[in-house]
Amino acid sequence: MKEKLKAFIFSELIYHEDPASFGDDADLLEAGLDSLGIMRLIMFAEKEFGVTLPDTEIEPDNVNSLNALEKWIRQAGAGQ
Amino acid sequence: MLLEPFLHHCRQQPEALALVESDRYLSYGDLLARAQSVAAGLQTLGVQPGQPVAVHLDRGIDAVIAVFGVLLAGACYVPLDLKNPKPRLAFIVADAKVHAVLGLGDAPAWLDASLWLDIDACSEESPKQVETSADSLAAILYTSGSTGQPRGVVLSHGAVASFALWAADLVALQDKDRIASSTPFFFDLSTFDLYAVLGRGASLYFVPSALTLSPSRLSAWLGEQAISGWYTVPSLLAFLAYKGNLSETPLPCLRFLIFAGEVFPTPALIDLAAKLPRTELYNFFGPTETNVCCYWPVERERLLADENIPIGLPAVDCELHLHAETGELWVRGDSIASGYWNQGRLQPFLNGEGWYPTGDRVSLVDGEYRFHGRLGRMLKCSGYRVEPAEIEAAVNAMAGVRDCAVVGIDDPAAGQRPALALVLESVTLAEIRTALIRLVPSYMQPSRCIVVEELPRLPNGKLDYNQVRTLLEAQQ
Repeated sequence: MKEKLKAFIFSELIYHEDPASFGDDADLLEAGLDSLGIMRLIMFAEKEFGVTLPDTEIEPDNVNSLNALEKWIRQAGAGQ
Repeated sequence: MLLEPFLHHCRQQPEALALVESDRYLSYGDLLARAQSVAAGLQTLGVQPGQPVAVHLDRGIDAVIAVFGVLLAGACYVPLDLKNPKPRLAFIVADAKVHAVLGLGDAPAWLDASLWLDIDACSEESPKQVETSADSLAAILYTSGSTGQPRGVVLSHGAVASFALWAADLVALQDKDRIASSTPFFFDLSTFDLYAVLGRGASLYFVPSALTLSPSRLSAWLGEQAISGWYTVPSLLAFLAYKGNLSETPLPCLRFLIFAGEVFPTPALIDLAAKLPRTELYNFFGPTETNVCCYWPVERERLLADENIPIGLPAVDCELHLHAETGELWVRGDSIASGYWNQGRLQPFLNGEGWYPTGDRVSLVDGEYRFHGRLGRMLKCSGYRVEPAEIEAAVNAMAGVRDCAVVGIDDPAAGQRPALALVLESVTLAEIRTALIRLVPSYMQPSRCIVVEELPRLPNGKLDYNQVRTLLEAQQ
């Protein structure tokens, strides 16, 4: 899941010189993920992993790193 | 002249609330007093009426104090995008030939400190009164330029005032309105917040930046603050409709929403219209040079998922003309900008008959205008204007680059994104990208790059941009 998220983020949402070196806990918001990027990321994740991410859980804390994203999407029921 | 309606409210209702930013509140009377002290500070520095003054502050209460201070001194404000790379900011400050830069605290290192004025250090003095007329320059808004450098669009007092009056009447703004504000002041959308809202004695509530990342908290904030209107960009409203928890947050106070700056995808607009059934929706349209030249009050029953919405009818007092051969929209009227700013001089941009050719391709069907894209190379990326020539100029100036071309690639959410094809001699793509980050803002960074042996050309030797786009689209 993390690899799919990472591939999508760095090909479609933000530019990074070397995505391979971008750590799973590194700050995506600082790297340039903005509100439009978050919306597209949520649309991608809901479709790709077959989940519904609750409106009230869209918070910086849930989207600010690859680890946080994976944890949040799994809690919403992905892969169960 | 532009501030006259605001000054009227300062006299009538000095205690009324003008600005709210988190837990900071400023009344009309206090806003005027602070702006007057800034105006007096500028006059002490020797700033004369009509001279440009940059504002080095993010949107918010301090930026309003600075902007109104500049206008009270009869000068012309140049709002800076603090997220721009330093060389771009330095270019704008030099190109505008600003006579002062307003900010808070110490001057940034890249700036000539003798230009700097800390707005908190201005003493409580009254400025000398300055007369302004409709032709006086009010603001220079820098956008991406087709000449390869940022280019300033000059707005006169009369142009902004006529738009503000028209827009305030359209949505029937009143002193009891609470209007949300999220637009940085270097975008023309901000003229509604500053001059229509504060010209009608209403209160302006700055949307906390963090809320744009959390749509359900944004809708809760709109409800808690009893916001009655908001002029913003479609992408934020689409996010609000999609994940804003609006079924649990009905927003009964929200009378109107206005959007502009990019095409609103109709399915997202249908979603928004359904979730906010009692809110009036307006589509505003126009390049910075015309502020708003067309508008369409959204008719919900006419929204079709597979059809773009109209840009509608002439706005303000604009006269519109559809060029028969090219389908280009031409505009003239009092709300049109005065021209471009070039090295401290005003360059008018109207053609021989007084029209501004917008570069927008439109059609006229049953009295309504519809937008069909750009005639030239300009791109719209997340609401920002991007001229490919500006990115090309930055890349071509780098050592080891032989040739390059920038085209737009369609993007489902951002509208378009720039993409770059390069012919390289003695430099790597990674080096180019690293250098580019320091030269142009993030929305101008190419989303895709490709290195080729030669750029494709047409038989007449001109670059074949369609072929460049095909190459970049194929690279996934």
